[in-house]
Amino acid sequence: MLFFRSEEHVDQWCKVNGVAKRPLVSLDQLWQLAVTWYGNRLTVESRRPGPDEMVRIFSDIGLEGPFWDPKSDQWASAK
Amino acid sequence: MDFDTSVKLNIYETIASTTRMPTSTEVALAIDSSVPEVEQAFQRLSEKRLLVLEPGSSAHIRMAPPFSGIETQHWVRIKDKIYFANCAWDAFGIAAALKRDTDIESACADCGETLTFQIRDGKPLPQECVIHFAVPASQWWKDIVYT
Repeated sequence: MLFFRSEEHVDQWCKVNGVAKRPLVSLDQLWQLAVTWYGNRLTVESRRPGPDEMVRIFSDIGLEGPFWDPKSDQWASAK
Repeated sequence: MDFDTSVKLNIYETIASTTRMPTSTEVALAIDSSVPEVEQAFQRLSEKRLLVLEPGSSAHIRMAPPFSGIETQHWVRIKDKIYFANCAWDAFGIAAALKRDTDIESACADCGETLTFQIRDGKPLPQECVIHFAVPASQWWKDIVYT
């Protein structure tokens, strides 16, 4: 989960490193993820979201599809 | 509060106040417990994916997400403290967890140019950038350090 100056830099990095280009996330989406995931991390109630919660959290900010599904077996044999 | 929650809270409170990841000995002293009991809790918390221990160690924490136990390229500054994050998401995660105005310094993974971000009054100031997630969610924990 890395920062890039622009999508062109992502393209270049993927090409140089032989990495498949995956979905891009905006700054605002990243912040929403951070708040939802870690906002209560220093409290008694904090816990890691379960798989179905994860899908809902991603979907709520527009990140949908098997890439964002922790139960997907689409990449089961990939790194 | 159960024992594992006490351990977890002490870890996070220690990082928040000192920027350092506590060892099992330090946690045991802080919560008046024994090192073996704390290390068993470390193991249970890592099985719940709330901690990542250093390879081969039961005493040292590599990650207590969003915090990193080692220096990384993602610097997170809050007042006079500097924390290290495990990734782009976690850099913002530290700001979200500590709920303070935050300055983040990282770099474009392609060209290495410094990228800075400011969190002010609970939201990031506009900055031109994108974040790339190279690993699908189903594979994150196959190698969480790479992820």
